[in-house]
Amino acid sequence: MTTVDGVRRLPVPPKPRRPKAMLIGWAIAAVVVAAHTVAWETTGISLGALVDGWRGMADFLGEAIPPDLSWKVLGPSLDAALVTLWIGLLGTTLSVPISLLLALLAARGTAPAEWVYQAARAVLSFLRAVPDVVFALIFVTAVGLGPFPGVLALVCHNVGVMGKLWAEALEDADPGPPQALRSAGANRVQVAAHALLPSVLPQLAGLLMYRFDVNVRSSLVLGLVGAGGIGFLINQSIKLFKFDEMLTHILVVVVLVVAVDRLSAVVRRRLSEGDHA
Amino acid sequence: MLALSGITVRYGERPVLHGVDVTVSRGELLAVLGANGSGKSTLLRAAADLVPVAAGQVTVDGGPRDRLDLALVFQRIHLVRRRSVLDNVCAGALGRLPLRSSLLGFPREVREEAMACLERVGLADRAHDRAGSLSGGQQQRVAVARALCQRPRVVLADEPVSALDPAASEQVLALLAELAHVEGLAVLAVLHQPALAARHADRVVGLRDGRVVLDGRPDQSVDSLYQVLEPVS
Ligand SMILES: Nc1ncnc2c1ncn2[C@@H]1O[C@H](COP(=O)(O)OP(=O)(O)O)[C@@H](O)[C@H]1O
Ligand SMILES: [Mg+2]
Repeated sequence: MTTVDGVRRLPVPPKPRRPKAMLIGWAIAAVVVAAHTVAWETTGISLGALVDGWRGMADFLGEAIPPDLSWKVLGPSLDAALVTLWIGLLGTTLSVPISLLLALLAARGTAPAEWVYQAARAVLSFLRAVPDVVFALIFVTAVGLGPFPGVLALVCHNVGVMGKLWAEALEDADPGPPQALRSAGANRVQVAAHALLPSVLPQLAGLLMYRFDVNVRSSLVLGLVGAGGIGFLINQSIKLFKFDEMLTHILVVVVLVVAVDRLSAVVRRRLSEGDHA
Repeated sequence: MLALSGITVRYGERPVLHGVDVTVSRGELLAVLGANGSGKSTLLRAAADLVPVAAGQVTVDGGPRDRLDLALVFQRIHLVRRRSVLDNVCAGALGRLPLRSSLLGFPREVREEAMACLERVGLADRAHDRAGSLSGGQQQRVAVARALCQRPRVVLADEPVSALDPAASEQVLALLAELAHVEGLAVLAVLHQPALAARHADRVVGLRDGRVVLDGRPDQSVDSLYQVLEPVS
């Protein structure tokens, strides 16, 4: 112990060296570097190609600016943006009942049996693993072009994601109130309806709003593969080399996405505030 | 009313209760005292059929126990904070309600019975408030009302006032004693403070290392329960 200007000090003992931890650290670093090298080679990243393509990009932008804001373009664009919004909305709400059922079956504490739990988890994993665009391609083939296959595709993928998120929210809930009702003789369904779901409702609603936001953005991409909405118009304008119309559509998309994002954020903040009150 | 005889409970190989005999009569508030780890909670859980007992039996009124005869009150209260006080009390009746009628809101008879239970604990005027907006002591009284709505013959309370301030503790214990005396319930409460037991209980049982070492008047000295046998260096 030394005393400098009345302040007591103690030298910091040297850190113990742990050779094994260092070895593991170096090994991880080597793997990460190797993975990036392989990825760089495989994807054909080339600054040269980017520079060569510069002129093409400039021509493209030259044609796109200024955007064609005439009503002839803007009107249909706004209509299609609304369709995109409706696809996202229905894709979210229509997946609520199935998501809820699967979440209850896929949460420890509410799953009636181990095999049900495993099965529900497997279904959710599958739905989550298949991207919504792939579902859209399948449904477009099955029921034809338009917004309807878009809704179906979103429902399928969203059940997988929202069911998982909800199941986790259910598992994180305070086990006390369910335990109290179980001891009062309530059965599984009654416990879920009267103790579990009322406690986690704000969390579930917050996740629902988050998924609504994501789904509106996804439904745009679905339009690109023919599932209706403004994505479809963007795809068409590119095919017809009408880049100024394309830019109009993109600007409308930006407004839509920002609006939905803000709405979702505000609602979620309100929900979590209400929870602490 | 409630009779536990020769109860032995093991967690794994280790016995936690060694042939414990405890009875609670109708109209009696029994306080169970004992140091941490002496087996008080385990005794309650054995009574409520929440842990398997290795030996011994539990009877209510001399017969086999029905789960609905025993209502539990918890230290951490365990109300659904976001629901109304009335809905929380109604939930005590779920055990006797058919699934159909309990999913579409509670039937009127149940809501009226729950109001009477709330009246009993002095909180009828808070029926429509959110449970979470009440004070800790009030919430515990709502939990007692929920237990009443179960129409039990026995109430088991594990440290019901450990999370409450002194005034609320007095109030909740006075309520439990009154329910025993007036409604003729058998109430068994695990308590941490001997002074509270002395003021409110009709009888105390002392547990030490999973054995009953004391059973009798609530005003006797219970210091021996909490003494450390091995010298602590
Ligand atoms: N679930 C359990 N598994 C294993 N041991 C337990 C469990 N619950 C309690 N015990 C042990 O049993 C003994 C009695 O516990 P408990 O009945 O909770 O005591 P008390 O409520 O009097 O503090 C303690 O030694 C505790 O560690
Ligand atoms: Mg305990």
